Amino acid sequence: MTSRRKVLLGGVGALALGAGGLAGRRWYLSREPEARPAIDGQGRVLWSNWAGNAHSYPAKRVAPASEADLITAMGGPKPIRPVGSGHSFTALVPTEGTLLSLDRLSGLVGHDPEKLTATVRAGTKLSALGPALAAIGQEMPNLPDINKQTLAGGLATGTHGTGKGVKALHGEVTAMRLVLPSGEVAECSRDARPELFHAARVGLGAFGVISEVTLQNRPLSRVKKIVTLVDTEQMLRDWPALAQRHRNAEFLVLPFTGKSALITHDTTDEPVRPRGADQDVETLMALKNLRDLFEFTPALRRRAAQAAMADIPPEVAIDEGWKLLSNERPVRFKEMEYHVPIAEQVGALREIIARIERDAPGVFFPIEARIIAPDDAWLSPFYERECGSIAVHAWYREDHDWMFELAEPVLRETGGRPHWGKLHSLGAAELKALYPMFAEAQAVRRSADPAGRMLNPFVKKIFG
Amino acid sequence: MTPLEEGRLMRLLFVLSVLALAACGEAPPKPLTAEQSAALSPADPRLAQLYAGSCKACHTVADSLAPLTGDRTLWDPRWALGEEALLAAAIQGKGGMPAGGQCFECTPDDLKALIKFMAGREGGK
Repeated sequence: MTSRRKVLLGGVGALALGAGGLAGRRWYLSREPEARPAIDGQGRVLWSNWAGNAHSYPAKRVAPASEADLITAMGGPKPIRPVGSGHSFTALVPTEGTLLSLDRLSGLVGHDPEKLTATVRAGTKLSALGPALAAIGQEMPNLPDINKQTLAGGLATGTHGTGKGVKALHGEVTAMRLVLPSGEVAECSRDARPELFHAARVGLGAFGVISEVTLQNRPLSRVKKIVTLVDTEQMLRDWPALAQRHRNAEFLVLPFTGKSALITHDTTDEPVRPRGADQDVETLMALKNLRDLFEFTPALRRRAAQAAMADIPPEVAIDEGWKLLSNERPVRFKEMEYHVPIAEQVGALREIIARIERDAPGVFFPIEARIIAPDDAWLSPFYERECGSIAVHAWYREDHDWMFELAEPVLRETGGRPHWGKLHSLGAAELKALYPMFAEAQAVRRSADPAGRMLNPFVKKIFG
Repeated sequence: MTPLEEGRLMRLLFVLSVLALAACGEAPPKPLTAEQSAALSPADPRLAQLYAGSCKACHTVADSLAPLTGDRTLWDPRWALGEEALLAAAIQGKGGMPAGGQCFECTPDDLKALIKFMAGREGGK
């Protein structure tokens, strides 16, 4: 006869096996991706993007230190693909031809203290541009979340920050110098070659390579950054008013917790209070641990998260904007982001949260919401439209197919336009329907690069 | 061994270990601050430019979680893995470290030299 003790022991054994099995499953799903050969059979060195999901073995690598060198470099094996910091998650950069790094085209060229403009070499990293502009009493009106991108890479992909009435980086460009695939140097602005200016300002590195950019800046200011944990439901209700009230506002929905982190920046005269040690990594890893423990028990996951997050005081820092608006992001990830009409943002976000919490219990990265003002660059995702952005993320080690299955259909249904540097599945036909000036931009591109020297397969898919 | 003899032996071992360290001329490594780390630069001008344009952005910032340049307390365990293993990790990326260390013009020899510098081993230390 089976004793109660045997049944209990059997039950405990089954539970232990089950728990062990789940832990093993999670370990397998979150393992470090298999490393690609550092050097291929032809002796070419691996190039990979920051996230590690796009790669190639370029035949040639060049890093021109002057515009003259850049002109020479344009004669290299094709496709010629410029690379900034490799922060795009799409295959914009991979090339078997020439990988053209802008690292040596860096630094301030000059500035106009009256007009508050500065001309900058296009390969300048945002982390270096902040202090360089601060030294001349200027700042960019806005900055993106990460400070590692080059200016050219940020412009080429429509990189943006957040804030009611605040444009993306390219919205403040007043002039550019481009080296076209033919080697011709083109200066463009609203007055000079305006069609090239409008088409190539957000140009995906497909019109030529930018060597210099003139930016409309503003006087250096001090901002107060506050990070507050709030209930997600309240956050979604208050968002339109909060976005209006703050110079820069964004929020991160922490899925499966019922909580969100609201981040605001406002101009202030209060004394400097430098940002403390980074807490984002610790928070992220805590969310991962919660996922690992309670992936299949969402009620427990929510309860544990709410208990852990109770009574966390707001985080406050006061400093120059360039020190607070952008961040180190030491944990690598992959991302999809779409820019939807502002009126659709909260509805789409609600649907995506619901889908993730119903069908994707493995997700632990926050979902990010921002707001961006309209501009007039033809390939800008914000072309003549105020947008709310929605971004979903996955740890670099983990699967991201769910983004295409769960999030992208919702984002597309709203008429959303994808961030050019982030994951999306669209090609020329779909993009043409989203961008009123797409055909005009295609025509300018064909005229600038008739032989298609700057087209890799991904860029070809975009431009058709 | 009596407790007295044991005490003498321990003192002798301690003195010998101090003498051994002194003979090697190498004091145990001390951690660096981010400011001390940021003040370091490779002696070779070309390498210094590569370093300033890529590695430095993370390897002198504590929040990046990358080991601080020149901090042997962080680098010595990594150095023990061998130069080839470190080079492979630099080219392929590992953990928070992106592939190529975001130095897209660096050759494998450049990366080797940069690793050596950041590990506090420049000049054959």
